[in-house]
Amino acid sequence: MKRLFWLVLLPVLAGCPEQQEPAGFAGLAGVADPEAEVPFLQPGPGDRLSFPADFGPHPQHRIEWWYLTANLETAEGDPLGLQWTQFRQAIKPRLADAVPPDSGGWPLEAAWMAHAAVSFNGQHYFAEKLARGDVGHAGANAEPPAVWLDDWQLSELSGNGTWRLQVSADNWSYDLSLQINGEPVAHGDQGFSAKSASGEGSMYFSLVDIQIEGTVTLGDRTLAVSGKGWFDREWSSQFLKTGQQGWDWFALHLESGDKLMAFQLREEGGAFRSGTWIPARGEPVALTPGQLRMTPISGPDSYPRQWQLEVPDYGVSLKVSAPAGDYRNTGLYPYWESPVAVSGSHSGVGYMELTGYGN
Amino acid sequence: MTLLAALFSHYRRHPLQLLALATMIVLATMLWTGVHHLTSQARASLDQSESAVAERQQVTRADGEPVSVRDFVALRRAGLCVMPWLEVASPGAGRIVGVDPLAAACFDRSAKDNEPWRGELDGAPFVDISEAAGLAIGQKGQKDSQGVLSLLLSGPDSGSALPSGYRIAPFTVGPDTGELGESFLLNLDALGMLVLLISALLLRSVYLLGLAQRRDSFALLHRFGVPGRQINRLLLLEIMVLALVCIVPGVWLGRWLATGLGSGFGRALEGLFDTPLYAGQDGGWLVPVATMLAVVLVACLADVLRPLARRLSVAGRGQSLLPALVLLAGIALSVWASALAWLFVAVAMVFVAAGILAPFLIARLADWRAGGEEDPLSRWRHRELSVLARRLALPLVALQFAMAMVLAVQALVTTFESTFDQWLVQRLEADYYIEVPEGADASLAVDWLSGQQELAAGLWHRVIRGQATLMNSVGESGPVVDVFALGPIGPLVTGWQLFESVGAPWQSLAEGQGLMVNEQLARRQGVTVGDTLSLKLGHKAIDFPVLAVYPDYGRPAGEILIPASALPTDFETGFQSLSISPGTLSMETVTSGLKQIWDVEQLTVRDNRAIESLASAIFDQTFLLTRAMTVLTLILAAIALLLMGWVFFSTRAWYFRLLVVWGLPRRQAATQLTRLSLSLTSAIALLALPLGVWLTWILVHRINPLAFGWSLPMAVYPRFWLELGVLSVLVGLSIAVLMRRQLNSPASAPESASALSGGER
Amino acid sequence: MVDLLLAVRGLNKQFRSGTQSVSVLSDLSLQLGRGESLALTGRSGSGKSTLLNILCGLEKPDAGRIQVLEEVFDSRKPAGSRQAEARWAALRRRQIGVVFQEANLMPALSLLDNVRLRARLAGQADDKCEDWMERLGIGELADRYPDQVSGGQRQRAALAMVFAMKPALILADEPTGSLDRHTAEAVTRQLFDLQARHGCGLILATHDAELATRCNHHLDLGHQPET
Repeated sequence: MKRLFWLVLLPVLAGCPEQQEPAGFAGLAGVADPEAEVPFLQPGPGDRLSFPADFGPHPQHRIEWWYLTANLETAEGDPLGLQWTQFRQAIKPRLADAVPPDSGGWPLEAAWMAHAAVSFNGQHYFAEKLARGDVGHAGANAEPPAVWLDDWQLSELSGNGTWRLQVSADNWSYDLSLQINGEPVAHGDQGFSAKSASGEGSMYFSLVDIQIEGTVTLGDRTLAVSGKGWFDREWSSQFLKTGQQGWDWFALHLESGDKLMAFQLREEGGAFRSGTWIPARGEPVALTPGQLRMTPISGPDSYPRQWQLEVPDYGVSLKVSAPAGDYRNTGLYPYWESPVAVSGSHSGVGYMELTGYGN
Repeated sequence: MTLLAALFSHYRRHPLQLLALATMIVLATMLWTGVHHLTSQARASLDQSESAVAERQQVTRADGEPVSVRDFVALRRAGLCVMPWLEVASPGAGRIVGVDPLAAACFDRSAKDNEPWRGELDGAPFVDISEAAGLAIGQKGQKDSQGVLSLLLSGPDSGSALPSGYRIAPFTVGPDTGELGESFLLNLDALGMLVLLISALLLRSVYLLGLAQRRDSFALLHRFGVPGRQINRLLLLEIMVLALVCIVPGVWLGRWLATGLGSGFGRALEGLFDTPLYAGQDGGWLVPVATMLAVVLVACLADVLRPLARRLSVAGRGQSLLPALVLLAGIALSVWASALAWLFVAVAMVFVAAGILAPFLIARLADWRAGGEEDPLSRWRHRELSVLARRLALPLVALQFAMAMVLAVQALVTTFESTFDQWLVQRLEADYYIEVPEGADASLAVDWLSGQQELAAGLWHRVIRGQATLMNSVGESGPVVDVFALGPIGPLVTGWQLFESVGAPWQSLAEGQGLMVNEQLARRQGVTVGDTLSLKLGHKAIDFPVLAVYPDYGRPAGEILIPASALPTDFETGFQSLSISPGTLSMETVTSGLKQIWDVEQLTVRDNRAIESLASAIFDQTFLLTRAMTVLTLILAAIALLLMGWVFFSTRAWYFRLLVVWGLPRRQAATQLTRLSLSLTSAIALLALPLGVWLTWILVHRINPLAFGWSLPMAVYPRFWLELGVLSVLVGLSIAVLMRRQLNSPASAPESASALSGGER
Repeated sequence: MVDLLLAVRGLNKQFRSGTQSVSVLSDLSLQLGRGESLALTGRSGSGKSTLLNILCGLEKPDAGRIQVLEEVFDSRKPAGSRQAEARWAALRRRQIGVVFQEANLMPALSLLDNVRLRARLAGQADDKCEDWMERLGIGELADRYPDQVSGGQRQRAALAMVFAMKPALILADEPTGSLDRHTAEAVTRQLFDLQARHGCGLILATHDAELATRCNHHLDLGHQPET
C-alpha cells in the first residue's frame, strides 16, 4: 500500500495529457477492439490474483510496485533496516498481451523509478533512479521473476526459489540472496484490497516469509547481514481519493511467528483502516476497519515515530517505535520509511511507512 | 545639544540635502549592484552556453558503428550514467535535440543549472527524445534527416567502468565561442569599473555640496573649541551610518532591477540555452555592500586626494595645463602602449584629464562667448552657463563618462555583433558540413563529388585539419600552428574578408603559390604579406610565401590556410570534413552517395544554418545584458545631474527670479533658463562624443588585440550619437522644468552674496 | 493731487498658516503722486514686504484695486490673470524699480554689466550706465563682480541699476538694512537725492523711524497682523 504520490511525476515529462479514468466497472471495457482507445483498468471486488503472471508488470494499470523491506542483523547483532522498491507509472495504458512499442522510438508509455535505502546505526542511506519504460534498461518479468533498472536488479537464482537483489548507489551498495518460503498472502478480498469506504482499491499480495543473507557495503565497510524480509506486490489505477491526505503502513514480524500488515488512509475527520492478520499457523485473516486501532503517539504535524497498534480480536496491543534518526527518503517525493521495534503484547520487528506529513 | 546633534542639525534644517545624498547612495548602490549582478549573469550565461555546447563527453562504439538504443541499454545496465542525445534536423523547426530527462536524473545534481534538459522541456531545441525520434521517423523518406544519436556521459570519472567495445570521445554541438566570450567579459569588467567610478563621482558631488553648505556651522563649532579632528571623526561616523542605512536597500533594489531585466531577457530568448539563466543566482550581500561602502567612504572622504578633488570640483582658471598634458600623455600612451596594464593606465589618465578639462572647457568657452556678446541678457546667460559648468562639474563629468561609456558599449556591441555574424556567415558559407568518418578515404568522396554533374563546380570543398610546426630562420622548431587545408579553392572561401593580401590572393592560393595566415599568427609572429614562412608539415620543412592575412575571431591559436594539394603525403591528418552547398542536387543524393562509397551506415551531417543561429542567439543574450547595464548607468547619471541641478538651482533661485522682478515675463525668463540648461547638457554630450569614440577605439583596437591577439573592425554609429543628443536634450529640458518651478515659487532672499548662498560667479 | 502715480483702494491680503488665516493687510488705501515719497514702517511680519510685492505685481492681493500710472488692476474684475501678469511685467520692466535689502545683482555679471542689463531691459540706451555708476561713486568698480565689492557698493550699484532704467516708481525694501550706519546714510542720501531730481515716486519700507520722517508720507502698518 504505497507510493500513490508518483501520479504527479509524469505530467512533467513532455506534456502528456492526463489520461482519463475509465468509466464503468473494471475489466469490462476496451478489450475487444485493439484499435480503440485502451482504457486503464481499475481493480474491484471479485478480481483475482494469478500466479506467476502477477509477479510481472500490468501495463493496463496506471501504477504498481515491487517492494522489499528487510529487518536484518549484522554479524555483531546490530539491527540493519533495508528497503528496495521499484515503481512503474503508466502514462499510456496498454493491453497486457499487446506488442510493446519499438525501443528505437524512445517510447514514453511508462516510467520507472527505483528506491533503495539502508538504515543502520541511526544513519539513513537513500538513492533513487529513474528510467523510461520499453527502452530496455528498466523493466520487470513474471517468469522467471526479474525486476531491474540500470544495474539495480532483482533476479531469480537458477530457478530454485531463491532470488538475488543487487543495488549499487554512489557510496554504498548491497547484494542479497532471498530465500522465499511459503505461499503469497492475498490481502483484502482474495487480493483486492479496498482503499476507501466507497470501494476503490488495489490488487495486493505479499511474500511474508523471506530468509535473507548477504552483504551491505557502506563506504569502505562491508557488513555480512542476515534476517527476514517482506515483499509486496501491488497495482492499481487509482489510490488516493480526493480528501485523503496520506497513509501509514506497517508490516510487522512478531516473535510468536505471527505477522501483521496494517494501514490507514488519513482523511478529513478520520481514516480508512485495513490490514491482514497472518497467524503463525492457519489462514491469513483480512481485518475490517472496525477491528483495527492505530494511534500515533506523537503529534500529527511531523512524522509520528511511535504508534499504538491494536487488534483486540486477536489479543494484539503493540507499541511500534522507530529508532532514533531521520528516515525520510528524500527523493522526488519525500516520505518516511524506517525499520521499527515492536513491544507490548508481542515483541518483534518490522517496517513503517508514513506519507503525507508535509516534510 | 550634543556635538553630534549640532552636526546633524544641518540636515534637520535642510532635509532635502540629506534626501539627495541618501538617494544618491541608494541609486549608486542600486546601479552598481545591478551591473554587478548582470555582469555575473552574463558571465554565467556565457559559461553555461559554452558548457552546454562544448566540453562534454560521449561514449562511442569502439568499432566505429553509430550507437543505438541497444548500446544505451547495455551501458546503463552496466551501471554507467549515460544520457541519450538525439539530434534531428527538422526542415520546419531547424535543429531539434531530443533528450531523456529520466535518464538525465543520474547526472550530477549539483550541476543542475548547467543542464538545460533538466526540468521542463518546453520547446526547441530541447524536446523529449520520443518526440525527436518521432520527427526522425516521420522523415524516413529523407534518410539524412534521421536523427543522430549520441550518448552523453555524466562525469569524467564515469568512464572508469566502461565496458569493453566502447570508448570515450569529446562531444560538441557548436562552434567554440570561448575566447570571443572571454574578450567580451574583459570589456564588461572594464565597464563595471567605469560604472563604479561614475557612482563615486556622483556621490562625491552631492557630498561636497552638503559640506560646502555646512562650512559655516563647522567654523562655528571650531570657534566653540571643538577640535577639527573630532569634527572629521564625527563626519566619518555620520557618513558611515548613512551609507550603511542606504546601501542595504540599494543592493536590494539593484538585484530586484537586475532580476527584472534579466528575466525579461530570459523570456525573450526562451527556447535557447537560457532556461535557468536567472534561476538560483542570488549572489552574496558581502561583495556589493563592502564595495559600495568603500566607494562611499572614498568618494566622501577623499580629501587625502585633495589636490585632485579640488581640481575636479572647481576647475580653476589657468590650471588647465597639467590636465591637458595628462590628456595628451594618456592618448599617446594609448597609442604606443604594448602591455594591457599600460593601456588601462592610459584609459585612467585620459578619463581623469577629460573629467577635469570638460567642465573647465565649457566654462571657458562660455566666458569667452560672454565676452564677445553685446546683448547683456545673452552675456548673462553665458556667464551663468560658466558658473553652472563649474558648480556642477562632478555630476556633469559623471554624465559625460556615462555617455562616453554608452557610446563605446553600443559601438562595441554592434561591432561584435556584426563582425561575429559576418564571420560566422563566412565560415559557414556552405549549407552542410559532413564529417569524414574515421578510416574513410576522403579522396574517394572528392572523386565522387567531382563527378557529379549537377553539383556546380566549387560549391563544395574538402577540409583537412592538422598541425604544423613553424621553423625559424636557422631551422629550429618554433610554435605549433593549426593547419586548415582546403581543396578545391572555390566560391565558398573566395568571399572571405582579408586584412591584407597580394593581388588575386585566392587564385595564387589555388595555384599553390603560397599560404594565408590568420590574424593571430600574423600578430604573434610579426608576419606580413610577402614574408616567407618555413613550415614543417610532414617530416620536411617547406617554405611558403604569405599571400594574405585573414580574420579569425575567437581562435586562440595561429592558423595557416593552404590548398589541400600543397600538403605532403606524409602529413598527419587530424580530422577531415566536407563542406557542401548541394544547390539543385538533393542532400539525400549526396549523403547516400557518400555512404555508398565509404561503405558506412551513418554520416554526421551538420546543418550550418542551425549552428549559425545557435551561436548568434548565445551572443545576443550577452549583448542585451551589456546594453541594459550601460543604459542603467546613463539613467543614473542623468538622474544625478537632475538632482544636482535641482539642488543648485534651489540655492540660485533668488537670482533667477530677479529676471522676473526686472520685468521679464515669466515665459521669457523660463526660456532663458531652458536655453541655459540645454546649452549645458548639449555641451557635455558634445564633449562625451570624442571620449566615447576614443574609448571604443581603445576597447576594439587596442585592448582586444593585446589581450587576445585579434582585433575587431572599428565602426562608428552616428545613430547612437543622435540618440545621445536626444537624451541630453531631454535631461536639459527636465532641468529646465525643475527650474521653472523655482521661478514660480517665491524664493527667500539670500542672507549674503557668498558662494554658499548661490551667489558664486 | 495733480499727477497721480499710484492709487490703492481696499487692499486685503491674508496668509494661511495651518488652519488659521492671518490678515496681513486689511482694507488698505493709499495714494502717491509723482515726486512724492512714502515710508512704510512696522514690525517684522507687519506686511511691508508683502505690500511692496503686491505693488509691483509679484504677489496678488485677495481684494483691492491698484492703479499704477494708467494701468488698473482690480480684483473684482478678474481679467485674464495672464494678461494682468503681462501688464505687471511691462510695468516692472520700464516703470517700477525694485531694490531689495541684499542680492540685487546677478552674481555672474560685473557691476557694469548688471546696470547695463537692467537698463537694456527697460529699453534705455546703456551708454548712460557708466555715468550712473560715476554719480553713485562706484565708477571705478565697473568691472568688479558683486562678490568683490562691499555691501554698500553693491547697494549703490543696485541704485545705479534702478536709476538707469528711468523708473516712474521706486520700491525699496530696507535698501540699507544690512549696511553700517555711515554707509547707510550715504546710500540713503543718494537715493533721496536722485529721486527728487528725477521726480519719480518712492516707497520705502524701513525700520528706521528717522528715515521715515524724511518721506513726504508715512504709513505705519502697525505691530502685529490680525488673526
